[in-house]
Amino acid sequence: MHEFNWGLLIVVYLFLGGLSAGLFFAAGLANYLTVDDKPVYAKVARMGALLAPWPVAIGSGLLILDLGNWYRFYKLFLHFRWQSPMSIGSYLLTIFTLIAFVYLFAWLKEDERKWIFSKIPATWKQVHRLNVDISSWREKIAMVGFPFSIGVGIYTGVLLGAVSARPFWNTNLVAQMFLFSALSSGSAALLLAMLLDRKNPVEKHETKFLVTLDVVFISLELFIILPYIIHGQLSSQAVKDALTLILGGPYTVVFWVFFLFLGLLVPLAIEVYELFPSIFKGREFHGSRRMALTAAGLVLFGGFLLRYIFVYAGQVSSFHRMGLLR
Amino acid sequence: MAIKKKRYALVIDSRKCINCKACVVACKAENKVPVGNFRNRINEERKGEYPKLSINFEPEQCHHCADPSCVRVCPTGASWQRKDGIVLVNYDECIGCRYCMVACPYDARYFNEEEGVVDKCTFCSHRVDKGDIPACVETCPSKVRVFGDLEDPTARIHELLSTRRYRVKEPQTGNGPQLYYLL
Ligand code: SF4
Ligand code: SF4
Repeated sequence: MHEFNWGLLIVVYLFLGGLSAGLFFAAGLANYLTVDDKPVYAKVARMGALLAPWPVAIGSGLLILDLGNWYRFYKLFLHFRWQSPMSIGSYLLTIFTLIAFVYLFAWLKEDERKWIFSKIPATWKQVHRLNVDISSWREKIAMVGFPFSIGVGIYTGVLLGAVSARPFWNTNLVAQMFLFSALSSGSAALLLAMLLDRKNPVEKHETKFLVTLDVVFISLELFIILPYIIHGQLSSQAVKDALTLILGGPYTVVFWVFFLFLGLLVPLAIEVYELFPSIFKGREFHGSRRMALTAAGLVLFGGFLLRYIFVYAGQVSSFHRMGLLR
Repeated sequence: MAIKKKRYALVIDSRKCINCKACVVACKAENKVPVGNFRNRINEERKGEYPKLSINFEPEQCHHCADPSCVRVCPTGASWQRKDGIVLVNYDECIGCRYCMVACPYDARYFNEEEGVVDKCTFCSHRVDKGDIPACVETCPSKVRVFGDLEDPTARIHELLSTRRYRVKEPQTGNGPQLYYLL
């Protein structure tokens, strides 16, 4: 029997890392869209900025706890090994998390910032020096953060894709698949948060923006997944064998029914249905709350399942002996 | 003539293997391998159906790859390769991320739950450094295993590999495995 060396915590970690990348990206983008120099999606940008750092921070915490010797995690930062995706990723993730927290700080309202610093002992003078208004830096921080958010999204895929021993993973399409899935999860999570925030009811143009963004990302993801399967079929025998895991093997149902259909095609269909009248028939975007909630929830569910399927099925695939398949 | 470079490898004449598992036991004792973990194993390959049945026994362990993917992915450098080709884990540096286990195409590594580190066959480097041979090689009653230095023209494995036909497992992994199976 084949054992799984990586389990659910790795799945959660990859999902949360990607989620933060997507949240930051969507929030940063929203910050840049202005009409007559006035930001039209300021609420979206703020919500995204407030949420972005947390998933990755929690995910990294979980990853550290998953280590055999968690207290040795600092050793990751005593070495730089350019051939190891995990080494590069650890640095990338740390820098991204820091930027995301600074970006959050830049979006705090004056009273929120004051409140936080009021909780810090007055004797910690050095810390109180940080109590400055950096809201004018928002665009700059977003710009610096973009490449890192993309990098984190890609990294979650490269971590698996770079493993030559696992034919199910070993294609560069996995990196793009994970990136687009991360971006789509990010905009879906942002949409979900906006919809659930009853105090500041979401406006139609904001829903439309996030739904549109998600349609773009889901489409990109879809057209990476289909080539992944076709490409695999045209590849070497080991890759073809590995793909049987989702083409008749134990991960077939979860891949096609739960991930591809429920987690990707259904939300895409809902979102396109929502956008269609406003784009092609010149009618107003009505933005059904329930539809948007369903679509966003399903996208997140699909994003999680994608990581789940890849982490588990990938470990079963092998040149050596196809674990469960023999 | 002084031999400058060393390259340790293992030749396995698996047709002689009778599946007595003396090597597995010897390794466990020599290296204090935790209960439930193994550094070497005997793969069984059955062919045909009774009464026309054949079983092949094929010992396997870490291949001490020439270009080991486990070393490549290790984020801390805990997995490393000696100049003589032996691939080892530096237990003090290992954080237990298990990336190397996922990246080993031969499933040669195990996770030592108690220590929280990864471990595997060391070619008994502690014995080899004293001029001995690995415990599994010494113990094998049917002389399946021949250990030696590929760079040494007088070594028995040199002779075997130049006169007998052999294969390595899954060369398409690109790892350059160093267990040579005689045909
Ligand atoms: S067999 Fe696996 S553990 Fe051994 S050197 Fe090769 S890749 Fe590393
Ligand atoms: S488990 Fe240890 S030896 Fe293996 S990759 Fe991680 S740090 Fe390196």
